[in-house]
Amino acid sequence: MSSYILQRTIQMVIVIFGVVTVTFFAIRLVPGDPARLMERPGTSEEVIKQTRQRLGTDKPLSVQYVNFLKDLVRGDLGTSFRGNRPVREAVLEALPNTFALGAVTMVITTVLSFVIGIGAALRPNSLLDRIALVFVAIAQATPSYWLGVVLVLIFSIRLGWLPAIDLEGPASFVLPTITLTISLMPLLIRAVRQGFIEALGEGFVRAGRARGLSERRLLFVHVMKVAAIPLITLVGLEAGYVLGGAVVIESIFNWPGIGLMALLAIQQRDFPVVQGTVLAIAVVFTLVNFLVDLTYAALDPRVKY
Amino acid sequence: MLREFGEYLRTRPFALAGVIGVVAITLIAIFAPWVAPHDPLAQDLMASFKPPAWQADGTWKYPLGTDLLGRDILSRLIYGARYSLLISVGSVLLGTAIGFITGLLAGYFGRWTDTILMRLGDIQLAFPFVLFAIAILAVSQERTWWQLVLVLGGSSWIIYARVVRSRVLTEREKDYALAARALGASRWRVLFRYILPNVWQPIPLIGMLNLGFFVIVESLLSFLGLGLTPPTPSWGTILADGRQVMMVSGWVAVFPGVAILLTVLSISLAADGLADFFDPKLTHGNFRRVPLPPAERADQDPADGAPLLRVRDLTTIFPTRKGTIRALNGVSFDLEKGSVLGVVGESGSGKSTLGLSIIQLLDAPGRVAGGEIRFDGKDLARLSNRELTAIRGKRIGMIFQDPSSSLNPVLTVGYQLKETLRRHRSLPPHQAHEAARQALSAVGIADPDRVLRAYPFQLSGGMNQRVMIALAMVSEPELLILDEPTSALDVTTQAQLLDELDGLRQRHKMSMIFITHDIALISSFADDILVMYAGHVCEIGPRDQVIDQPRHPYTRALLDAVERVAVTETSRLAAIPGDPPDLTRLPPGCPFANRCPQVMPICHQVKPRRVAVGPNHEAACHLIDSPPSAPSQYGTTAVEAGRAAPASSVVANDNRSSRGNSSLVETAEDARGTNSISSTDRGRGESNEG
Repeated sequence: MSSYILQRTIQMVIVIFGVVTVTFFAIRLVPGDPARLMERPGTSEEVIKQTRQRLGTDKPLSVQYVNFLKDLVRGDLGTSFRGNRPVREAVLEALPNTFALGAVTMVITTVLSFVIGIGAALRPNSLLDRIALVFVAIAQATPSYWLGVVLVLIFSIRLGWLPAIDLEGPASFVLPTITLTISLMPLLIRAVRQGFIEALGEGFVRAGRARGLSERRLLFVHVMKVAAIPLITLVGLEAGYVLGGAVVIESIFNWPGIGLMALLAIQQRDFPVVQGTVLAIAVVFTLVNFLVDLTYAALDPRVKY
Repeated sequence: MLREFGEYLRTRPFALAGVIGVVAITLIAIFAPWVAPHDPLAQDLMASFKPPAWQADGTWKYPLGTDLLGRDILSRLIYGARYSLLISVGSVLLGTAIGFITGLLAGYFGRWTDTILMRLGDIQLAFPFVLFAIAILAVSQERTWWQLVLVLGGSSWIIYARVVRSRVLTEREKDYALAARALGASRWRVLFRYILPNVWQPIPLIGMLNLGFFVIVESLLSFLGLGLTPPTPSWGTILADGRQVMMVSGWVAVFPGVAILLTVLSISLAADGLADFFDPKLTHGNFRRVPLPPAERADQDPADGAPLLRVRDLTTIFPTRKGTIRALNGVSFDLEKGSVLGVVGESGSGKSTLGLSIIQLLDAPGRVAGGEIRFDGKDLARLSNRELTAIRGKRIGMIFQDPSSSLNPVLTVGYQLKETLRRHRSLPPHQAHEAARQALSAVGIADPDRVLRAYPFQLSGGMNQRVMIALAMVSEPELLILDEPTSALDVTTQAQLLDELDGLRQRHKMSMIFITHDIALISSFADDILVMYAGHVCEIGPRDQVIDQPRHPYTRALLDAVERVAVTETSRLAAIPGDPPDLTRLPPGCPFANRCPQVMPICHQVKPRRVAVGPNHEAACHLIDSPPSAPSQYGTTAVEAGRAAPASSVVANDNRSSRGNSSLVETAEDARGTNSISSTDRGRGESNEG
């Protein structure tokens, strides 16, 4: 077990190193000089040159890369080009906002998907099953950002019931959470339904009935355990996606999370912030997946590391 | 093929709607210049922000209204379909191509190729897609469709690569691939000539689902300002325009979203339909027992004097879309207390269905359609579900063929045993453990403590079957049904288990129904033998009489097959030539007629009656020239003989109840399958004669 954890940790470090490196070079190879973007149009070349020196972007790429790695190892993510704020501080401030939205979304998504999926699996082709499948098909076909825009159009602009953007108390959670939940649920409902239908058809369910076990016990102990274990992976993937910052949703609702921060930084060519945010997103995503695999191993006796 | 698909669509309205939608959108995209009422770029500044035609201020000149520049939204949507579909289809093709090649290489060559490619994939997955797209797309000021294809296709390869890789990993270890390699084929040849044809199958479906996803992502990129350069219309750019003017005219943002929604919906409905067509899942529902209505003549047998189990004219059917499978056709027999009835037949003969009908655990859509199953005077088929729970699992137990799938794989043996103990006896927790140990010891398990802690996958098949028996014995049932309990086990374990069962039966005075395809196995164990064929009883009688003086040609054929047992399983089972009849359209005469070596003209026309041929010995065959004074003691022959077989269309016989039996039917099917595969040169040499 401990050798597995060590091996996985090394793999995670390699993957994160890869992500960070790709980001470092990609953002610098894209046209757009941060120094020029920071100064007013018409600023003299001399001043821009000074700005470059101050930011450190005048040095050769290799030097910049080595410096970046040195700082990274010391836990220093550098300073934002704009506002001279330490990136680490900014990232640590944005992450809780993303986590809050992600956690609320994942709890609601998971509970609803399991209830609907199990209900549909218990009576395939029933009315509930048909309604669930129609919902799945429509929700899967709905672009989440469009849904966000339409919800804002209806509930904020027309009706004025809910705040459209920014994080200002619990009411602000409603629209982004609905938008994310609807876009995450279809995959999970489908998987829950399929998993439970398969598990209900297994020989051990019939054998359980043959020795007199109650239907409730069979469903909530036997079938639940067998069907839910593989679903953990999917829940983990979805959690990794929202906890790592749902970039688009955060930008639509102006949610002060890590995804919005990354998007703005890219537009402003704020290299240290881009690097810091992408690093944070990659770390959260890989960590969540790692935890999922550990949970899987803990719950399924057949998996041994 | 196309015709079959058309027929299939008629029964699937959702899939049909999806296919129609996909075709319609494709046609609209191709013929956009003829369909669109206006030039998508033509501006009409006098008609800026016209609402849709049905609004107060709208005009039919612009059915869906106009945007800021007075351009017709309907026409822009129609032209937008072109670019949206072009980009999505292109991306799927690119992603599939890259993913397929990397998956093949990573899977087949393994080692560092695999490591590098798969770690690249991990990096890709951990990298937020939108940021990746921005990094690439922000480079150029003029963005054309192929740049978007590069981004979308280039970021989706890993999905295909993983699927292909895992399939290659299994295929490359299979005999045909190893054989081709051993015969000197180069690695590339093995990969492309032999493995590739076996791994591509899931790709089109994933591609189809991905197509819908790309339609959404394309619009998302445009929405973020990374899509096609204006004024080229795509659904995403129209939507992005709409968002800018959301406060003035909400309609502009709504229509492209609806277009995307309908397109993606059509694609996924069509994809689901295709998936089900090529890989039909069993659409039967979950287990759900519905009792038969009470019999018209409610003559409750007095319990004393009657046998423990009296089955009369039992008829079980599986209504399917392709016809009704008549799995049991008027089965009658008696089972006395403490005696063992061996039920023998090939797979598909209905013997497993008989067991499941008695204990009332038929898989949906199977159901008992008629007859009686009187257990201790009560008709099991007519008991309510609540009444039945007092009998099933308490007074009647059942043990299935495959012990490892009959146990929950993720719960320990101890847990499953204790929960069953608590169900049947009220035990305080500390006594449950001791009771569980005793239950295992009673079925000959030497180290019960280890087994209690173990998960089923940690135990051998024989050990698991002992556990199953211990579980069934917890409630000390009066009747135990055993469905091929030893078929999955090796010969030595088989013999030990039979001994164990015999001991239990004697100690507990238990009745048994022992279902098997192996007449030799049962001849040492059963008191009576019932031979089944195509859901009919061919012959029933005391063991010695049936074995020594078989009267039905089918019984004789089964016994002959055993005598020639010297050779392999395959040839032994192939001893009776021909296939059993299709259970959805049984012939009007004897079901065995088409395989019977002594067939007569009458056999094809009239169903033989069951007549007495000795004490308690009966057979249903026209060869038996019985005096009319010796009718069946079960008194159901009239019904049986008079039943006309309904004609209906083709379907394979019920595989669920006979899963995994090695028998004639499956040998025959296997042989056919092998032939068709070897004709396409996969290098599988073994030829079974069917």
